[in-house]
Amino acid sequence: MKRLTLVPKEVTQIPVEAEVISPKTVAGMSLEEVQRLNVYQGKVRLTLADHFDVSGEVAETPAEQMIVVDGDAPHVKCMGAAMDAGTLVVKGDAGMHTGSQMAGGTLTVEGGAANWAGAEMKGGVLRIEGDAGHLLGAAYRGSSEGMTGGCIVVGGGVGSEAASFMRRGIIVVKGDTAPFTGVHMNGGEILVFGRAGRRLGAQAKGNGGFMACFGGVEELLPTYIYDTTFRPTFMRLYLRQLAETLNVGEALRYLDKPLRRYRGDLAVGGNAEILIAEP
Amino acid sequence: MSFKLNGVEIEDTFAEGFGMWGTRLIITAANRKWADTAATEMTGFATSVIACDCEAGVESQIPPEESPDGRPGTAIMVFGFSAKRLATPLLNRLGQCVLTCPTTAVYNGLPAEMADEMIDVGKSVRFFGDGYQVKMRMGDGWEERQRFWRIPVMEGEFLVEEKVGAKKAVAGGNFLVMGETEAATLEASERAIEAIQKVPYVITPFPGGLCRSGSKVGSTYAFLRASTNTPFCPAIKHSLKDSQVPKGVNSVLEVVLNGLDEASVRKAMGAGIEAATKVEGVKWITAVNFGGKLGKYQIHLKDCVGGG
Repeated sequence: MKRLTLVPKEVTQIPVEAEVISPKTVAGMSLEEVQRLNVYQGKVRLTLADHFDVSGEVAETPAEQMIVVDGDAPHVKCMGAAMDAGTLVVKGDAGMHTGSQMAGGTLTVEGGAANWAGAEMKGGVLRIEGDAGHLLGAAYRGSSEGMTGGCIVVGGGVGSEAASFMRRGIIVVKGDTAPFTGVHMNGGEILVFGRAGRRLGAQAKGNGGFMACFGGVEELLPTYIYDTTFRPTFMRLYLRQLAETLNVGEALRYLDKPLRRYRGDLAVGGNAEILIAEP
Repeated sequence: MSFKLNGVEIEDTFAEGFGMWGTRLIITAANRKWADTAATEMTGFATSVIACDCEAGVESQIPPEESPDGRPGTAIMVFGFSAKRLATPLLNRLGQCVLTCPTTAVYNGLPAEMADEMIDVGKSVRFFGDGYQVKMRMGDGWEERQRFWRIPVMEGEFLVEEKVGAKKAVAGGNFLVMGETEAATLEASERAIEAIQKVPYVITPFPGGLCRSGSKVGSTYAFLRASTNTPFCPAIKHSLKDSQVPKGVNSVLEVVLNGLDEASVRKAMGAGIEAATKVEGVKWITAVNFGGKLGKYQIHLKDCVGGG
C-alpha cells in the first residue's frame, strides 16, 4: 500500500471543501497533480497544496492507496466522501460530511468527526475514535434512504438523528446517543453501549432493523410495546462480530445478558425492535 | 492379491464409490446435550438411500470457541442423489428435528467458495414463522454478506441461515473388517470409526458407523432389491459356492463412509484401516465393489494406506 501524507497548514475559520481527499480521486495521479487538485473555501477555488503539505507516494489503484491527514482538520469537509476502496486516516478531528456516501475501503478518524459523518453510506468501514456530531450515517434532507450498507464504529458519543432513514448496514456507538437515534429507520442495526437518548426509533418501520441498547435508555416512546425478555441467539453473532472483527471488546460482556424486547413504532405501524439489556 | 499392514492381510482391491450431493450444517445449542440431541434426531433413519430419504451422519463436535455463535456445536452432513433431492429431506428434517429442539440454531457448514450450489434452507423454513419471521442481514457492504431468518417459537427464537452449501460428493466408501472373533472384529471396527471421526468432511451413516449386515444388489426374491451380503456371512460360508470369508474369520463388519470429496474419503478409509489393523485378532481387510461397473469412484485400499 502506498502512503500519501497531507499535513494541514492551519485550521481556518471558513471551511475547506475537500472531497478530493479520497483514494478514488488521487489514485493514478502524479504527486504534482495531487497537489494541484481543486478545493473550495467559500467561493474561492484553491489547490490542495494551498491548505496541505502534500508528500509521499501515489498508487495506481484506489485499493492500494493510503492517505494520511497528519493533524487536526476540523475545518476540512467531505474527506473520504464517496471513497470506494483504500484507506484514509485522519490523525485528529475531521470536519462535516466525512465519509459521506462512501462505498468501500476504510476511513479512520482518530479524533472526533463533525455532523453528517458517513451520511448515506453504502459500504466500507468508518471508524471515529472520538465523538461524532449530529446526523451520523443519516439520510440527506429529502432523501428516503440513509445508510444502505457499511459499518460505522464510534468510540465516543453521537449527536441527534443518527441513522435517520437507515436501510441497511450497522452503526456501533460505544458512548451515549442524543435524541432521535434511528428516526425513520427501516432496516439496519444500531448497537449502543452507552445510554441511548430520548425518542429512540421514532417513526421506525422495522424491516428487520433493530436498536440494541446495552447501557440503558433515557426514555422510551410510548408507541413501543414490551414483548418479552429473552436471550436471542442472533445477538451473539453480532456481539462476537463486534469483538472479533471491529475490536469492540466490551461487546462480549453482553453475550449472555437478557434483553427486553420492545416493538414499534406503532405510530407508523412499525415493526422495528428496541432491545434493552437488563441492568 | 494382498499385502500386509501391521500383520493383517489387506486385499488389493477397491471400494466402489458413487456420486452424490452432500451438504454440511452446524447445529448449535445452549449446551452439548441439546446440540447432540438435535444432530442425532436430524441424522436418524438415514443410513442408506436403499430405504431412507437421504444418507446422513454426525461429522464432528465443534467446541464453543470455534462455533459460529460461541455455543457448543455439532456438524452434520446430509447426502442425496441431486441438489434437489437433497433439499427435500434436508428441509423436512430441519423442520421436524432441529426447529423443534430446544435452544438450537442452524448455520451453513459448507462455505460458498467450497460449494457447487447453495440450497435455500432458511428461506423455506421461515414460513413456519407465519409472517412474524424476521430477516437478519449481516456484513452488508463491509464484510462477508450473511443472511439469516429469525423465527419466533414458543421457547424463544429459532435462528437459521438462509442458504447452505451443497456440492458433488462421494458416497459408498467402505471396507470390511474381518476378525477371528466377534469381539475382536467389533473392537477393531470401533477403533476404525474413532480414527475416521477425526477426518473432516466425512461421515459414517450406519449405526455407530458400522453396518453388520452389509448388502448385495438383488436377492432370490423378485420383490427384494437388496439382501444380506451372503459371500461375507461367516455363518453360511460352507453353504455357499462363492463365499469370500477367509479361513479363520468368524465375524465381519462393514465400515461405510460418505465424504465431500474423494480425497477425504480416501484419507478416512486409510485412517480407519490403519486403526483396525492394530487390534489383535483382526485377520483380513477388504472392500466391497461391483467390479467397477456401477460406481464412479474406485478407491483402492493400497492408495488409502500409502501403498501397503
